[in-house]
Amino acid sequence: MVSRLRFLVVSVFLFSLVSVSVPWVSAANGDLAPLEVAEAEEALASAYEAVLQADEAGADVSGLIDKLNVGSEYLVEAYIWVHLGDSENISHFAGLCYDIALDVHSDAVEAIDEARNSEMNEFVLVMLGSVAGVILVVVLCSVGWHIFKKRYYKKVLGLKPEVVFGES
Amino acid sequence: MVNLEDYRTLFVVVTLGLTLVAASPTLALVMPFGGSSERFSEFWLLDPNHAAEDYPFNVSAGEMYSVFVGVGNQMGSSEYYKVYVKLRNGTQSVPDGNNSVPDSLSPVYEYRFFVGVDEAWESPASFGFGDVVVEGDVLSVGEVVVNGVTSRVDVFAVWDSEREGYFFQLFFELWHYDVGSRDFRFDGQFVGLWLNMTGY
Repeated sequence: MVSRLRFLVVSVFLFSLVSVSVPWVSAANGDLAPLEVAEAEEALASAYEAVLQADEAGADVSGLIDKLNVGSEYLVEAYIWVHLGDSENISHFAGLCYDIALDVHSDAVEAIDEARNSEMNEFVLVMLGSVAGVILVVVLCSVGWHIFKKRYYKKVLGLKPEVVFGES
Repeated sequence: MVNLEDYRTLFVVVTLGLTLVAASPTLALVMPFGGSSERFSEFWLLDPNHAAEDYPFNVSAGEMYSVFVGVGNQMGSSEYYKVYVKLRNGTQSVPDGNNSVPDSLSPVYEYRFFVGVDEAWESPASFGFGDVVVEGDVLSVGEVVVNGVTSRVDVFAVWDSEREGYFFQLFFELWHYDVGSRDFRFDGQFVGLWLNMTGY
């Protein structure tokens, strides 16, 4: 009985210690979460938004998605430790998630720039090709038309009945 | 014989057609021609053999069971998902799929993951129950273990004399991150597994 009471007192003390030593904020889902976990969650969401922009810009984001998934696993792990009240592991996993999120964010920003540059180069190349194609079509058609017209007249003239003066 | 004016018209039409063909690569970059396809997320639950035939049903306290939970992304862009695992009895609220309202129960576990366009994510979900107590015709569950994480719950079921069992539902809610509101949103998708607690 005494040992159970001692266990309870120690547990309450340890939980209070974690509660006091770690600053808590309201997370996105309304639950209370330590500040560092909330920061990691925010960083991961920002990194995802940057990856979305990179995706829209036409970059290959499959590697970034894999990295984000590693970050999300760390975040889930951090939340599990929040649930278990272990401040050391909360900090450890939230920190790992935060670092990965920052890394992904900077990679995504780089990928956006690269994708935009390559998109611009591709656009210029395609536009020049199209302009050349249009000019070629117009020139060829106009040359073709002139040749056709000449042949047409020749043919029409060839069909004209010859004027034959009456023989007396 | 065909008039020269008719030939001229034909030449102009053919020239315009070929001009459009030559300009089409640039036009395709400027004007989006893609049709709007339906955007949705697939959400599934499979039995331990990756089929939809042999789901756990009769469960006992202290035993572990497994299923596979999966999500397919057909949303047209990479998505950030969250899956909440929850436990309810037959009388507790169920998510309102039509109005996209989640239920108010606390999750016992959560998954977070990112899925690329037209890709899928799947993960095993092992679960078990503990602290199961029967008093009269009421069975209460005090602990749920999902993927090794134990959560305290207080869910009870009254003996169902018609179907002969204490029935609970372990269900999975799919949420996705909405960039506009910068928060997760429940779109009404959930899958559940009815369980009969036979051993305690």
